[in-house]
Amino acid sequence: MLNAQDNQHVTQTGPGTPMGELMRRYWIPALLSWELAEPDGTPVRVKLLGEELIAFKDTDGRIGLIDNYCPHRRASLFFGRNEECGLRCVYHGWKFDVDGNCVDMPSEPAESNFKDKVKVLAYPCMDMGGVVWTYMGPLEHQPPPPLFEWTQVVETHRAVNKVLQESNWLQGLEGGVDSVHASYLHNNDIANTTRYESRSAAPSIEVEPTDYGYAYGSVRHLSKEEGNFVRAYQFIMPFTQLRPDDRRESSASPKVAGHMWVPIDDEHHFVWNFVYSLGDEPLTEADKAKHSDLAYEVIDINNGFRCIWNADNDYGIDREVQRTQTFTGILADARVGANLQDRGIQESMGTIVDRTREHLATTDRAIIATRRMLQEAANIVGDGGTPRGTGPSYYKVRSIQRVLPVDVPWQEGMKGLLFEGAEYSPIMQ
Amino acid sequence: MLSAQDNEMITRTGPGTPMGEYLRRFWMPALLSEEIAEPDSPPVRVKILNEELIAFRDTNGDVGIIDNFCPHRRASLFFGRNEECGLRCVYHGWKFNTKGDCVDMPSEPAESNFKDKVKIKAYPAEDWGGYIWAYMGPAESMPELPEVGWAMVPESHRKVSRRLQENNFVQGIEGGIDSSHISFLHFGLPPVLRDDPAKKAQTLSNADSAPHFIVKTTDYGFVYGANREAENNSYYWRLTPFMLPFFTVIPGGSGNPDERTYSGHGWVPADDESCWMFTYSWNTSRPLNEGEGHGASFLEKEPRTMRAVMNKDNDYGIDREVQRTKTFTGIESISVQDSGIQESMGAICDRTKEHLGTSDSAVIAMRRMYLQGCRDLLEGKEPFVPMKGSAYRVRSVADVMDKKVTFEETAEKVAVGAA
Repeated sequence: MLNAQDNQHVTQTGPGTPMGELMRRYWIPALLSWELAEPDGTPVRVKLLGEELIAFKDTDGRIGLIDNYCPHRRASLFFGRNEECGLRCVYHGWKFDVDGNCVDMPSEPAESNFKDKVKVLAYPCMDMGGVVWTYMGPLEHQPPPPLFEWTQVVETHRAVNKVLQESNWLQGLEGGVDSVHASYLHNNDIANTTRYESRSAAPSIEVEPTDYGYAYGSVRHLSKEEGNFVRAYQFIMPFTQLRPDDRRESSASPKVAGHMWVPIDDEHHFVWNFVYSLGDEPLTEADKAKHSDLAYEVIDINNGFRCIWNADNDYGIDREVQRTQTFTGILADARVGANLQDRGIQESMGTIVDRTREHLATTDRAIIATRRMLQEAANIVGDGGTPRGTGPSYYKVRSIQRVLPVDVPWQEGMKGLLFEGAEYSPIMQ
Repeated sequence: MLSAQDNEMITRTGPGTPMGEYLRRFWMPALLSEEIAEPDSPPVRVKILNEELIAFRDTNGDVGIIDNFCPHRRASLFFGRNEECGLRCVYHGWKFNTKGDCVDMPSEPAESNFKDKVKIKAYPAEDWGGYIWAYMGPAESMPELPEVGWAMVPESHRKVSRRLQENNFVQGIEGGIDSSHISFLHFGLPPVLRDDPAKKAQTLSNADSAPHFIVKTTDYGFVYGANREAENNSYYWRLTPFMLPFFTVIPGGSGNPDERTYSGHGWVPADDESCWMFTYSWNTSRPLNEGEGHGASFLEKEPRTMRAVMNKDNDYGIDREVQRTKTFTGIESISVQDSGIQESMGAICDRTKEHLGTSDSAVIAMRRMYLQGCRDLLEGKEPFVPMKGSAYRVRSVADVMDKKVTFEETAEKVAVGAA
């Protein structure tokens, strides 16, 4: 449970809010690289942390992310002309480059130097791993680039996409560090009692803090002889999760999947989905499906990346399927994976869940740890310090799942796999 | 006219508001029985008095009305599995019975007793007269179930429905106890009069020639009505009972009062800016025929929202040519004429700017009763609530009677008594 004040503290990310200032100390995914495919292509609206911005790729291929509003009379630059290394406002022709400089002001007399005095807000960007990343914080605190391992492997070994979620970002993250619900929400074969998650539906949740966030294991005891089924996750500040690929048969050439929950405003966020292959094997179509363009069959990219199953149609729940086949009756095919079930249940809590009225249990340890870590980091930023996860220590971390003997703690049994990446060598770019 | 404070007082019904607490002394229709007809059928969202709730019928046929939000992490129980005498949250499997007890918590270790400490809000619920009723108030103030006419007949003898109206519930009631608008809003111009303004005006006033409504307080609320001249030294009386907190029976029909089909509405707040119009029709002496009953029960609705297909987004389908030549409004259905005009006042009518006339006496009486109930509660007194279910055994009057029969005597005919 949080009090009302703490609930605001952890959920609000606009400029000047404690959590907003914390997020502005990290590289943030702003949009997909393909959304800005061509130099001088159509500008794209981007809303991040409550700020309305415009992204464009200039004639030289440089990416700009600038204020939506022209500093002159506040017209939207979405309607702008992207031409000759700058975005020109269609109202009076003022033109801005990717760094925010006003490079032309044809509506003023030639002798005027007003254009040298006017700038538009502009954030630095980098295009990496199929994602345009931006940094919205103080330049003196700009951290090293976000070299997550998945952004560094060759293109055949990774996939990424995004989908709109109509709730506060923290509801997404809290679902993502709660592997307990896999026994319930994602039980898509209720007749099958051999699933590890069905055999052991009250896992022990164990959190190991690190300097980038934490690793946690969900430990499901199977039997003395078989041992424990452990899924080890990584939480990387402020909103990234890594998890073992869900599909057991892929363990010969393991994959790591993950999400980033990126605030649009306090009542919407983008869920970024990614997956990558650790070994020689490239991703198959099946590996990629829900993490790639294939999902856009059911995610409407022309409607703000909103899924066609959403709150307006109760996520397509089929009560007969719920009665006879799956726990929820909400679809979990290759294109949506478990994500539609997650999104449905998280949005059902209301846009910002009222955490004064929840009842957390022992299996919510990772959720409690996440909130504490976020609040601690926000306080550190408020006090002028440097929060966790802004250094490069997360570059080589991974997630893994294993069945371990009952007397081997997962922290020991998986150590090399989680933190050093020794056993597999991904093919780097 | 009401002051801004009084308008606030009677229109706000969330927990802790005076009107909200007053209404929580009554049984509230929450949904139709047929919406959760079968044991273990899908749960249904219910929003009443600003509370988001979930209704379900368990394996034994018992009805539960519980909080929408699971107490664990606040996921909606709408998506829940209704199975083996309880509703199970699909997020982590916590399960609740109709009384709100947590009867299973499989995500916690077997030795945990946390489930014995967690409850979910649950309201007493009854399946009664085709509706599921909820009681959301203090246990010690619970009245008997109201013995309304449609609940006292076999299922075949009644027709019930509900639909969403996008305005505060008080506007709905005020339309329901305002007989004088019938002559205008619901008036179809007879062809012969269309082009004669003088005759048109005369017909309008003749449609209800008795503008002076009489109101009489009763043990169920009040009854109001008026008489007008009829043939052979008699009056035509039309009387409407108003049963607390918001039920009416529309005057109509002819012949033996025991054999008539009666209809009416009740308006249950969903939130402060929308309400559920519950409609009921019944006949004590025989089953209703196919299609018999109030028109509101046959209106085309969007199934998921229960909003009429003709709504404010399409100006209720107004046809200006029909309005010019055939009907007073150009809006087709009587029920949509009502909801359209009530919604047109804004989500919450600004009663500081209205001008009430003599034909609004029932509206005034209703507001006084509400304000009295609110003020009693604010002073720590229990407000007047009909505690006996039999007080609700009433019907309307639409009869021609000898002029010697007084209003008082006519009003007696409204109460059917414990027969």
